[in-house]
Amino acid sequence: MLKKYVPKPGRREYVTFLLLVLEIILFGILAPNFLTVDNLIRVIQNNAEIAMVSIGMTIVMLLGGIDLSVGSVMGVIAIVIGYMLQADMNIFLIIIAAIVIGVGVGFLNGFLIAKFDIPDMIVTIATMNIWKAVIFALLGGKWLTGLNPSYAVITRAKVLGIPLLLILIVIVYAIFYYFLMYRRFGRHIYATGCNPQAANLSGINVKRVKLVSYCISGGIAAVAAMLYIARMGSVEMTIGSDLAIACIAAVTIGGTGAKGNGKRGSVIGTLAGVLFIAFLKNGIVILGIPSLLENCFIGLLIVLSVLFDALTAGKTSKKSKAKGVAE
Amino acid sequence: MKKIAFSIAKSRTKFLLLLFVVELIVLSLISPYFFSINNLVQVTQFGAALTLLSLGEALVMIAGRDGIDISVGSAMSLSGVLFGLAVMNGCNILTATVITLIGGILLGTVNGLLVAAAKVPALIATLGTQYIYGSLALYLTGGIPISGFPDSFKVLSLESTFGIPNQILFVVVPVTILVFILVYKMKFGRRVYLLGTNPEAAKYTGIRERRIRMCVYMLAGLLAAISAIINNSWLMTARADAGSGMEMQAITVAVLGGIGVAGGVGHLGGVLIGVIIITMMNSGLQIANVNSIWQLATLGFILIIAIILNRMMERFVANVEKSRK
Repeated sequence: MLKKYVPKPGRREYVTFLLLVLEIILFGILAPNFLTVDNLIRVIQNNAEIAMVSIGMTIVMLLGGIDLSVGSVMGVIAIVIGYMLQADMNIFLIIIAAIVIGVGVGFLNGFLIAKFDIPDMIVTIATMNIWKAVIFALLGGKWLTGLNPSYAVITRAKVLGIPLLLILIVIVYAIFYYFLMYRRFGRHIYATGCNPQAANLSGINVKRVKLVSYCISGGIAAVAAMLYIARMGSVEMTIGSDLAIACIAAVTIGGTGAKGNGKRGSVIGTLAGVLFIAFLKNGIVILGIPSLLENCFIGLLIVLSVLFDALTAGKTSKKSKAKGVAE
Repeated sequence: MKKIAFSIAKSRTKFLLLLFVVELIVLSLISPYFFSINNLVQVTQFGAALTLLSLGEALVMIAGRDGIDISVGSAMSLSGVLFGLAVMNGCNILTATVITLIGGILLGTVNGLLVAAAKVPALIATLGTQYIYGSLALYLTGGIPISGFPDSFKVLSLESTFGIPNQILFVVVPVTILVFILVYKMKFGRRVYLLGTNPEAAKYTGIRERRIRMCVYMLAGLLAAISAIINNSWLMTARADAGSGMEMQAITVAVLGGIGVAGGVGHLGGVLIGVIIITMMNSGLQIANVNSIWQLATLGFILIIAIILNRMMERFVANVEKSRK
């Protein structure tokens, strides 16, 4: 019987987890108030959107693409939610509207990329700027404040002492892990990222895979927008401006490379990457390192992790070549 | 009619010139002030920094292997801050310039090492360095713009000779000519193009890919440093956010100018016309009193439409040539 191929997380993802544990131990020793329940809850609350959007980013990057527009998309949806809340609309209507807008916006990205064969980065840079202008037009320099959606309880509630938000994030990650590893569509994503021509020849509709992936990315941005509103209760002009890069950092540190090694990586690695960056940011603040340098550390981490990937990729390919000769 | 359409679709320069003429007509309809020679010449100073940055960006893209440099904007900010700090610490303008140019080359070298030597995907590598450079620039200034340059420094960007802004006449034009000589009259340029069109062939002709690619990124860093100095003199301050968003504009200009994202395709002349078109548009929108955020959105639209047009024109040219046979 043919054994099913499952793109299980490899050693690379466990390295990130190891680094995460080391980091937690290190900060735990250096800063006494790092390992408190309150602090950990705060870290998770502050990074819920990044955790969510990173899933979409992982999928897009597995395809060898990139989605720089997620931040502005989240912003636009958050503003729409804000206005609908102010108009006292039904909460379910708001949730449905948000997700429809998210998927629609993702569809636009995917359509331009798949139909016209334009590079992902160019399309998403362009749409990012267009949505930024839309945010500006919708807000007009004001702030939306005093928003308190009824589902906001979720972000603060606890079950058996564990924050509900954390459980929610873990469940969503588990769903997407199952989806990517064991469903047909998920494996089509890996196949397309690995070798689009081969995937096309083996009967996978590559264009549809791309289109749907960007729709997923947009839909997840809508969920992130809901979490943002629940956490902040207000929307301002600069919403989401750093989100895309934070997510790319998390995904890269988690072992999913862009371009060339799309076949590797999984949402599990991304989760480790998200937590790694979240604790790093928190640790920097607690240790009293100037926060202006925060981005410098994240940038260094991105560079180091892609460097690590590039160097190890060279080694393994040499090894497999040597093996081939021996056989 | 079809013949004219074909010749326009086949030549990027003709298409861009047509676009330029259309733009001039639209903008002068919006505002009567726009179409005066004085204004047209003065507008060029807004495009000084962008010209240099986009030349660097275009070269990086031509060299292929998904080459892109997202860090040019932050590199410009950081080298501008370096210049400011050097002047504040007692250097004269000339020494500060030398320090800044070396700094810019070093920033480019870091990118080059990552992309050319370690073979990291350019997009992610320069995304990382963009973060690092931008954050360092902020940290070095503490978020406060550095001002207090000597008054004589104004000569570079705030005064004009024969009615042409100084920075254009004495910096942008000579540097552009040098870059054109380097790319179109010397071996270096041929090698860059060959690397973009066929890296495998380049390898077998004995071109040292690593060295050439490294040089391309260093050149992008150097051009960013030059534009930082121009910008400092123009604003008479060194700001940590001077170059933020510039990489987006540079990429847009390069793509509009016909540089292929896959590498090896496009001419720097198209990039220059692209700069003029974008600069005219920005200043035209400013005269028409449109908020700057809409300039970004317009840029986004132009970018998408330019690429879709690229594809359609390619298809059109291919069809016509097929039917001729």
